[in-house]
Amino acid sequence: MPKSLYYGPSEIRAKSIITFEDIPVNVYNKTVAEERANFKDEELVRIYRDITILREFESMLTSIKTQSVYNGVETTYPGPAHLSVGQEAACVGQAYLMTPNDYQFGSHRSHSEILAKALSSIEKLSDEELLKIMENFLGGSCLRAVEKMGACNSVKELAIRFILYGTLSEIFARKTGFHMGMGGSMHAFFLPFGVYPNNAIVGGSAPIAAGAALYKKVNDKDGFVVCNIGDGSLGCGPVWEAFNFACMDQFKTLWTEDNHQGGMPILFNIFNNGYGMGGQTRGETMAYDMLARIGAGITPSQMHAERIDGFNPLAVIDAMKRKLEILKKGEGPVLLDTLTYRFCGHSVSDQNAYREKSEINDWMEVDPIITYRQNLVDAGVAADSKFEEILAETRERMTNICRHAADKEFSPYCDFKADPQVVERIMFSNEKVASFGTDEPRVMAKKEECSRVQQIKGKSRFYLDEKGKPVSKMKTFNYRDAIFEPIIDKYYEDSTLVAYGEDVRDWGGAFAVYRGLPEVIPHSRLFNSPISEAAIVGSAVGYAMCGGRAIVELMYADFIGRAGDEIFNQMSKWQAMSAGILKMPVILRVSVGSKYGAQHSQDWTALCAHIPGLKVCFPATPWEAKGLMQSALNGSDPVVFFESQRIYDIGEQFHEGGVPEESYEIEFGDTNLVRSGKDVTILTVGAALYRAVKAADELKEKYGMEAEIINLHSLVPLNYEKIVASVRKTGRCVLVSDACQRGSFLNDIAANITEMCFDDLDAPCVVVGARNWITPPYEFDEFFFPQPSWIIDAIHSKIVPIPGYVAENEVSEVEWLRRNKAGV
Amino acid sequence: MAKAVIMPKAGITVESCIIGKFMKNIGDAVNVGDVLFTYETDKASFECESTEAGEILAFFFEEGDEVPCFTNVVAVGAKGEDYSALAPDGAAEAAAPAAKEEAPKAEEAPKAEAAAETTKTADGSIHISPRAKNLSERAGVDYTYAQPTGPNGRIIERDIRKLMEEGVPAAAQKAEEAAPAAAAAPAPAAPKAENGYEDIKFSGIRKVIAKSMVTSLSTMAQLTNHHSFDATAIQAFRKECKAAGGDVAGITLGDMVLYAVSRTLLNHKDLNANMIGDDTLRRFEHVNLGVAVDTPRGLMVPTIFNADTKSLLEISKEVKSLAEAARSGAISPDLLGGGTFTVSNLGATGVEMFTPVINPPQTGILGVCGITQRVREVNGQMSIYPAMGLSLTYDHRVVDGSPASKFVSELCKNLEKFTLLLAK
Repeated sequence: MPKSLYYGPSEIRAKSIITFEDIPVNVYNKTVAEERANFKDEELVRIYRDITILREFESMLTSIKTQSVYNGVETTYPGPAHLSVGQEAACVGQAYLMTPNDYQFGSHRSHSEILAKALSSIEKLSDEELLKIMENFLGGSCLRAVEKMGACNSVKELAIRFILYGTLSEIFARKTGFHMGMGGSMHAFFLPFGVYPNNAIVGGSAPIAAGAALYKKVNDKDGFVVCNIGDGSLGCGPVWEAFNFACMDQFKTLWTEDNHQGGMPILFNIFNNGYGMGGQTRGETMAYDMLARIGAGITPSQMHAERIDGFNPLAVIDAMKRKLEILKKGEGPVLLDTLTYRFCGHSVSDQNAYREKSEINDWMEVDPIITYRQNLVDAGVAADSKFEEILAETRERMTNICRHAADKEFSPYCDFKADPQVVERIMFSNEKVASFGTDEPRVMAKKEECSRVQQIKGKSRFYLDEKGKPVSKMKTFNYRDAIFEPIIDKYYEDSTLVAYGEDVRDWGGAFAVYRGLPEVIPHSRLFNSPISEAAIVGSAVGYAMCGGRAIVELMYADFIGRAGDEIFNQMSKWQAMSAGILKMPVILRVSVGSKYGAQHSQDWTALCAHIPGLKVCFPATPWEAKGLMQSALNGSDPVVFFESQRIYDIGEQFHEGGVPEESYEIEFGDTNLVRSGKDVTILTVGAALYRAVKAADELKEKYGMEAEIINLHSLVPLNYEKIVASVRKTGRCVLVSDACQRGSFLNDIAANITEMCFDDLDAPCVVVGARNWITPPYEFDEFFFPQPSWIIDAIHSKIVPIPGYVAENEVSEVEWLRRNKAGV
Repeated sequence: MAKAVIMPKAGITVESCIIGKFMKNIGDAVNVGDVLFTYETDKASFECESTEAGEILAFFFEEGDEVPCFTNVVAVGAKGEDYSALAPDGAAEAAAPAAKEEAPKAEEAPKAEAAAETTKTADGSIHISPRAKNLSERAGVDYTYAQPTGPNGRIIERDIRKLMEEGVPAAAQKAEEAAPAAAAAPAPAAPKAENGYEDIKFSGIRKVIAKSMVTSLSTMAQLTNHHSFDATAIQAFRKECKAAGGDVAGITLGDMVLYAVSRTLLNHKDLNANMIGDDTLRRFEHVNLGVAVDTPRGLMVPTIFNADTKSLLEISKEVKSLAEAARSGAISPDLLGGGTFTVSNLGATGVEMFTPVINPPQTGILGVCGITQRVREVNGQMSIYPAMGLSLTYDHRVVDGSPASKFVSELCKNLEKFTLLLAK
């Protein structure tokens, strides 16, 4: 809460009532005859053509999935087919006014949306532009294939074939698909036409689309964003988080320093087909009665929500036109409740047990493919025979596309045998990009004027002074300074860089990492987010997809659970699912807590390290923190950046010369040899490093054992070379971290070391983790988190008995078996 | 005050043991748990750990001496301390029988400790870390000599390094007077003899074997009959067992011979007997079958008690565990005597016939030979069949040639119709 906004009792406690505007429901009432004043006849006919293309595409897939044949082309595929038969008119109407600069995001049922947007873009682009786009996409390989499909009388026809073939072969998992088949039906898109990813997670696109709008707003990009989700997704928390995130008051009240005030350019469009899979939203699973009502619960403008008839493409175009005006004026976001109906099942295995056949028939009677055509004929726009021609042409084109997409020689799969690294190569982009922007970074003052920067200048960059005496904490360049330094540098280098999260601005972040930044960085680049972890991470994913760099913060690592889908399914997977077309330069900062009990103290590195596609690091010293943050900020991959609240104020104790003032990178995967020794290797993750150092001191002073300590600041990727060399030397290995022992990532490392060093091991690798309990109150830390004595006990009891040492803790096999049997 | 380390009791029936090798010298400092000397019963070898800490003041016996259990062997105490009160009577006299009669003074004999810890863990196996094993192989030292100091009795790297630095070479030097260390397995650092030969002093077990064999052949009238039988049936049965899987799959041809002997022998009681003195035969009601086992320390004969009451599978399992225990040296001395008849199986070595030597005071021993393909006439046709040899050595003082042959003939028949025997 900024000081500039007064929250006073006289105003807040004053008596009043909240009033609402009427919410329009299906108010469009023009006839085709009337609309002929607004549209050329050929445009009205083309709308019909586009509807038939969408319908034919879905009918083809229905036929393939249920009968393994379409128009004589025998083929099938095992992947999903969530079809939108019946919803085509709404999609064509929505896309009609959109340009390639306007971005569209979709759901698991988005074939029609993708194709409608692509057809609209094809119509708006010149032949030269179209050829350039097709030629540049994947080196022209898709275009080359389409050119071999037979004579083509126009570039636009070529482009239509291109978009149909790229989409279908993607669905068929072919290398010739838009993403080499790695995305498939539910993750298809085509960026050059403004078609951004659809999403297999219900409502998954909502926070992502909000992030895309943030990108457009922050970076002054033309165009707006349409987020297509279904009515079923209104039951998902992240969707509501996204609504609120996109509508925050601060866009109007606080984003003033650099004239970025104004609403987010985003239209949340709900394709409301009445069902979430089989669950009927209105009347069964939801409470809104009419979906358009919900906008009134989000903003005073009621998100300009209204219900429109998606069975009439002209009604949808009419609504889009009005809503775009609102967005252009900076009064967004907007919410549309677009009525439609799905004739087909949720998937081909749907038995329609939840609705009567008569209900489906009633909707089919008003199917736009019949009624809209009839209206055009009645209004004299074209003869009925014209529409028969269109249908025949559509069917012929689709048959040709299907024949070629189904042909495994023409449209081959990726060859996993010949090229076993085909997926490996797209898991990470591994690029070095100093700046994703070309603009001058917007700041409010020179970096040197930032009080924090000045303060840091006077600090000692090593924990001891020149005489070897400890420097006072206030005068030591600490862990939080080390994270701050590369971030402020990057703010002055990359105009796209934004950082946000809960309380990151006025508070400086819960742990004061950003303190000082608000003096020089405007709200539009550093702002407080609502307490919406899903929206925080999801929006960063959308921001990065569009070409920006984001650092988002979740405060406590324990809140990862609140952003599970966004971290584990979105941030991690889009680079590979797009076959490398998308980049994901998102840094997610999470902090492992201390003193705050069971829900604020957990090291969840194992959860993140388990998910393919995420880079995971956990620096434990200022030198590591600065180098890794710099490396993450220069990269193009998603990074989960773990920090620890135990060590924010700690100075650098290990790196010779302290933390360099100049910029440097620590390569992800490298390891930090903190202390050399010959008798036992201690591998550490996180703040446990400092307890390992204490244990090593005791081993040396009392028992003459020399421990080698290697801190693993990177978990994914992880280069084992130095670890293996150390364990080969010592023959003994203990691994320590504050993560609960069961399922700790250390077990993975221990297993790998055992495989690689088996013949050199003098004892099994021993993992020392926290107990498999809730974290008890801080007063009992020593009973829960690994202590120096636990480390020595583990060495003594399981690796090499130390003469004269008596174990402090029960570590017998019997005790181990008991704990595991009890699940504790 | 100086304290004594005594000769432990290595089994209920063991009265005395032979000192194998002293692992320390007088004047050496020792801790509780350090190995002071090795000792052997007539069938197994053990290590005696110090029960006291201090300096070694005296050894009351020499290597090779037979010492009654609970007798003081080593004096440990502070340098220069008087230990004369600890010296057992008759010490330094190697005459074992005399010592046997002596009861050690009660106040000087601390309570018997559990069997001294050896390289083996409780289950008799050796646990060694991969690193220690690799090091021992590279350094060419026998890790079975290492004293395990790792968790759960595991030999770890430092144990091998200790062995390399001081273990066996030190002991070998102590053996002095050019007599290199005696051991069943060659000591890694044993000095090479310069005269083109080396003298190996008999271990306790070897001595016992030597003595026993000479006694056997010089006091009995032994002769040997050689028979053979058609092994088709037992081979077929073995195949069935193998196919059945599980414990049954472990049943060997040798186990079947043991089973057949246990079932046949009671019809020939003079062969299931012991000679008492020169004129008395003690015939047994049950068959306690001695089974000769080749071990790194020499021949050992553990006993399957009441074999005639045990099933084929029980015999098979018991013989395996006995052999394993004998080979690892962990076998209780109580299981190494009490036999009424012995079977010695050399079949796997390809022996066609041999003359096994009776284990006194028993009256017979059956040698099991290998299988050879023989030709015989069946219905005017030459046919080949697998013939397994059996060589019975018997004491002619007790049994004559004819009854001895009848025993083997019946045994052969039972083996040729093995499934019928099983049904009985």
